[in-house]
Amino acid sequence: MRTTLNGMLAGVAFGAISASSALAEDLVIFWAEWDPANYLQELVNEYEEETGISVTVETTPWSDFQTKAFTEFNARGSAYDMIVGDSQWLGAASEGSHYVEMTDFFAKHGVADIMAPATVKYYAEYPGNSKRYWAIPAEGDAVGWSYRKDWFEDPAEMAAFKTKYGYDLAPPATWAQMTDIAEFFHRPDEDRYGIAIYTDNSYDAMVMGVENALFSYGAELGDFETYEVEGFVNSDKAVAALENYKKLYGFTPPGWAKTFFVENNQAITEGLVAMSMNYFAFFPALLNEATNPHAANTGFFANPAGPDGDQYAALGGQGISVIKYSENQEESMKFLEWFIKDETQKRWAELGGYTASAAVLESEEFRTATPYNEAFYQTMFKVKDFWAVPEFAELLTSANQRLYPFIIGDEGTAKETLGALAADWTATFKKYGRGQ
Amino acid sequence: MAGVRTSREKWGNRIAIATVFVALIIMLTPIYWITATAFKPRNLATTIPPTVVFTPEVSPFVKLFTKRSQLRDQPTQKEYDAAPWWEQMVFDGGEKVVRNRKTGEVRPSGYADRFKNSLIIAITSTLLAVSMGTLTAYGFSRFKVRGEDDWMFFILSTRMLPPVVVAIPMFLMYRVVGLNDTHLGLIILYTAFNLSFAVWIMKGFIDEIPKEYEEAALVDGYTRMQAFFKVVLPEALTGMAATAVFCFITAWNEYAFALIMTTRKAQTSPPFIPSQIGSGLPDWTVIAAGTFLFLIPVAVFTFLLRNHLLRGMSFGAIRK
Amino acid sequence: MPSEVMIRLDPKSRAAAKGLNDLTIRNLFIIPTIVFLIVFNIFPLLYSLGYSFTDFRASTNAPANFVGLQNYRDLLNDPFIWKNFSITAKYVLISVTGQVIVGFGLAMLLNRSIPAKGLITTLMLLPMMLSMAVVGLFWKLLYDPNFGIINYFLGLGKFEWLADPDMALYAIAIVDIWMWAPFVMLLSLAGLSAVPKHLYEAAEIDRAGSFYTFFRITLPLVAPILMIAIIFRTMEAFKTFDLAYVLSSQPNTELIAIRLYKMAFQEWQTGMSSAFAYIVLIMVVAITNIYVKYLNKVKAR
Repeated sequence: MRTTLNGMLAGVAFGAISASSALAEDLVIFWAEWDPANYLQELVNEYEEETGISVTVETTPWSDFQTKAFTEFNARGSAYDMIVGDSQWLGAASEGSHYVEMTDFFAKHGVADIMAPATVKYYAEYPGNSKRYWAIPAEGDAVGWSYRKDWFEDPAEMAAFKTKYGYDLAPPATWAQMTDIAEFFHRPDEDRYGIAIYTDNSYDAMVMGVENALFSYGAELGDFETYEVEGFVNSDKAVAALENYKKLYGFTPPGWAKTFFVENNQAITEGLVAMSMNYFAFFPALLNEATNPHAANTGFFANPAGPDGDQYAALGGQGISVIKYSENQEESMKFLEWFIKDETQKRWAELGGYTASAAVLESEEFRTATPYNEAFYQTMFKVKDFWAVPEFAELLTSANQRLYPFIIGDEGTAKETLGALAADWTATFKKYGRGQ
Repeated sequence: MAGVRTSREKWGNRIAIATVFVALIIMLTPIYWITATAFKPRNLATTIPPTVVFTPEVSPFVKLFTKRSQLRDQPTQKEYDAAPWWEQMVFDGGEKVVRNRKTGEVRPSGYADRFKNSLIIAITSTLLAVSMGTLTAYGFSRFKVRGEDDWMFFILSTRMLPPVVVAIPMFLMYRVVGLNDTHLGLIILYTAFNLSFAVWIMKGFIDEIPKEYEEAALVDGYTRMQAFFKVVLPEALTGMAATAVFCFITAWNEYAFALIMTTRKAQTSPPFIPSQIGSGLPDWTVIAAGTFLFLIPVAVFTFLLRNHLLRGMSFGAIRK
Repeated sequence: MPSEVMIRLDPKSRAAAKGLNDLTIRNLFIIPTIVFLIVFNIFPLLYSLGYSFTDFRASTNAPANFVGLQNYRDLLNDPFIWKNFSITAKYVLISVTGQVIVGFGLAMLLNRSIPAKGLITTLMLLPMMLSMAVVGLFWKLLYDPNFGIINYFLGLGKFEWLADPDMALYAIAIVDIWMWAPFVMLLSLAGLSAVPKHLYEAAEIDRAGSFYTFFRITLPLVAPILMIAIIFRTMEAFKTFDLAYVLSSQPNTELIAIRLYKMAFQEWQTGMSSAFAYIVLIMVVAITNIYVKYLNKVKAR
C-alpha cells in the first residue's frame, strides 16, 4: 500500500514538473541487445510520430543485462524510465520497490484479459496468485529448435538413419530421438556436428538449456509454494534429464563451452550442426539469406517431449515495467496505454516482436507469418520458468557452479550434482526464511 | 662493443634481429587482424581459411554509428535502390537502419556519445592525476616529511585494491550523493586510481633533478614557488609526459568501474563496445571497427609522446 | 601530518624570507593528495567494514542486521572461494612469469644494435594501449576452434583453447602476456641501458663467458627495476577482472575479482561481499609488503 501511495505521489509530483516544463521529455526504455529490442525501437518510432514524444530503446548485452539493470535500480538512478525486464526479476524488483505497481493499471485497462494467461502469470504477477501486477507482458518467448532441413531430407541420410535406428529421420518428437539424431549427424572428420546447446554459465543461459530437458522429462525445480527442492530438482527424472543434456554436449562442435544464442545461431549459419537450441526471438536472422546462407534449408520445431510424454519449454521473454526512480512516470504510463492497444500489438507482431496479446497470437495471420510462429504459438502454452524470488541470482550461481563442472568438465555424476544443488538451494531458502 | 667483432657475434646479432622481427610480427598480428576486420563485410569475418585479401569497405563503421534491425527477408529492389549507398551496405548485411519515421532521421547507436564520455573522463582525470601527482612528488622529494616511507607505501597501497573492492562502498556512497552515472563520479575514481602511480613515478624523476638548480634560482631572488614553476617543472616535463601516457592508457581503457558505476549518461566506450556484437548473430566487424576507432586517440597520444616515454622511463629508472 | 620540516636549502637565503614558507608549500603540495586518497579510498573501505558484519543487501529496502563474524566464517568455509584463490594464485604465477620471460628476453635482444630500434620499441607497446575488455572479446574470435586464425596459422586443427577446462586459464594468461610483456620490456630496457659499458668490456678482457656476464653483471644490475616491474604486474594480475570476465566463464577461470563482482553486483549480497573484499584486501597488502621488503633488500645490495 505504501508503495502505491508513494508511486502515486511521485507520479503527481513529476506530472506537475513535466506539465510546467511543457516540453515532453524523451522516454528511455532499457532492454537487452537483441532483435526484439530493435523491433521495439521501430515500433516506438510510431509513437513518436503520433505524439511527438521520442522514445529510445537502450540496450546492453544479455550477459550483463541483469547486472546493469539492478545496478541502476539499486543506485536509484533515473537514466531509464521503463525496463523490459526478465520474468525472474519480479520478486527482487517488486520487493525492492524498484518497479511501479501496475495492479490499478491492470484493473483499469483490463490487461489481464488482453494478454495471454501464461504471459500474465509469468511476466506480470508477483507473488504467484496474488493478483498484484508489476509489468505489462511485452515479449513472449520460449526455447525452440532450428534444424537443417536439407540434411534431414537427404535420401541417403534417411536410409542410413533408418537402418541404424529403426525409425524414420524426421524432426524429433522426443528427447531420445533428438539424442539419436545428434549422434547420427555428429561427424567431426567431416566438420559436421550433431547439435548446438546452451553452455554459457554466466547468468541463466545454461540453466535455461538444462531446464528444457528437466521440464520435458517431467521434473520440477521445486515446489514454488513451499520452497521445497529436495526430491524435486534431484528426482530420478531430473537426473535422467541432466544425463541426457550432458550426452548432447558430447555431440556439440569443438569449443562449445561458453555458448548462448549468438553461437547457437552461428552454428546453423556456418553449417556446423544439424540442430540448434535457441529462443524463438533469435530466429529472424536465420530466415534471411544475407545472414544465413542456409536460410532456405532451415526448419524449426518445438522442444520435444520427454520419455513420459511431458512436453515443456523454458520460458524466455519479458514484461515492460515502469521504474520507480524515473522522472517521467506519467508519460511512461501513457506510453503503456498506447502499447496495449490492439493496433499497436498487431503492429508489434508484424515488426517481428512476439506479442503477448491473446487475440493477435491466435490470429491465422500471426501463426503463418514466419516458419516458426506456429511452433512458438504452441510452445507458449507449455512453458515453465525459473524461480522468481528476490534471491534468484544466488540460486543461479549455485546452479551454474554445480551444473557446469558436470556437463562440461565431466566431474561427478548427475545424481551427485543435483543432490548438491538441492542442498545449496535449500540452504539459500533457509537463509532467507522461505517455506518455514 | 669493443672493436673486434667475431663472426660468432655477428651471427648472434643476426639471430637477435630475426627473433625481434618475428616477435614483432606475432605481437602485431592481433592488432592487424582487428584493423583488417574493421574493414570487412560481415560474411568475410569468420571464414576458414581466413580472408586476407579483400576489398575494404566502411560498412562496419556505418553499422557502428547507427541503430540497426534484423530483416527477415531481403529488401525489395525498389527499397534497395532508393537507399543511399551506406544504407545499401547495411541491407547487404541482412539488416536495415532504424529511422525516425517522421523525419527520416537515422537513429544513432550511441557510440559517439560513449566516445565523447571517454574523452572527457580520461583527459580530465589524467590532467588531475599528473598535476596533483607532480606537486606531491615534489613535496616528498624536497621537504622532509616524517614517516616518508610509510606515506609513500600508503599512497602505493591505494593502487593495489582490486576495483571491485573499492566499487562496493563507492557505489553505496555515490548512491547517497547522486554521483552514479556521472562524469564527475568516474573522473574522481580514475584520478584516485592513477594518483598513486603518478606520485611514485614523478618522485623518481624529481629526485633526479639536481637541487642546485633551485638553489641557484633562489639565490637569484626567486621565491620557492617561482623556482618550482620556472626551474623544476620544465625539467620534469619528460617525466610528466611519460606519466600522463600511462595514466591516460589506464583511464581510457578502464572497464570494471565503468561497468559498475555508469549505465548510460556517463558510460564510456569499453563497456559499450561489446554490446555492439549484434543480436541474432555475432558481427565481429562492428566490434573491430569500434576497437579500431577507440585505439586511435591513445595510439596518437603515445606516438606523439614516444620520445618522452622511452627517455622518461630510462631516466626515472636509472636512479632505482 | 608531521609538523617538523627540515629545510634542505640554506635557511638564511633570501628566499626563505619571501613568498610562502616551505612548510606551507609542502603542506599545500602534499595534503590535498593525501586527503583525496583518504576520502576516496580509505573512507569507503571503513564504510564497507561496517557492512561486512551485517547481512545488508543493497538491492532491498530491508534494514541491515548485525551478524558478527558470520560472513567471514561462511566465506572461509566455502570451498568455491578457496578454489577462486588458488586459481588466482596460479594465474598470477603463469602470467607474471610469462611476462618477465618474454619482456626481459625482448629487452635483451633489443639492447643490441638493431635497426629502427625506436620504432620497433614503440610498435611493441601497441598491445598495451588496448582496452582489455574489448580486446579480450576479440581474442575470443582469434581462439575460436571453428573460425579462429590462431588454430589455422599454427595448424592446431580444432584445439579448444577456451573450452578445455585445463587450458582456459593459460589461454587467458597468454593474452595478458601479449598485452603486458611490452611493459616489462620497456622497464628492462631502461635498466639494461643503464648498465655501465665498461663492466662488459672488463668482462670481455677477463674472457668471462656469456653466462657469467649475464648472471654476475647484467642480472644484478637490472634486478631492482625488474622487481618494480614484477610488483606492478603482480598487483595488476591479482586484480584481473575484465580479461577473464569477457573471455571465459569456466569455473576454472573464475578469479577472485570475478567472484567478488558476481557476489556484489549480481547477487547483491552487499554485506557478504564487503567481508570478502576485506579478506582480499588483507591478502593484497600482505603480498605487497613482502615484495617491497624484498625490493629494498635487492636495492640495498
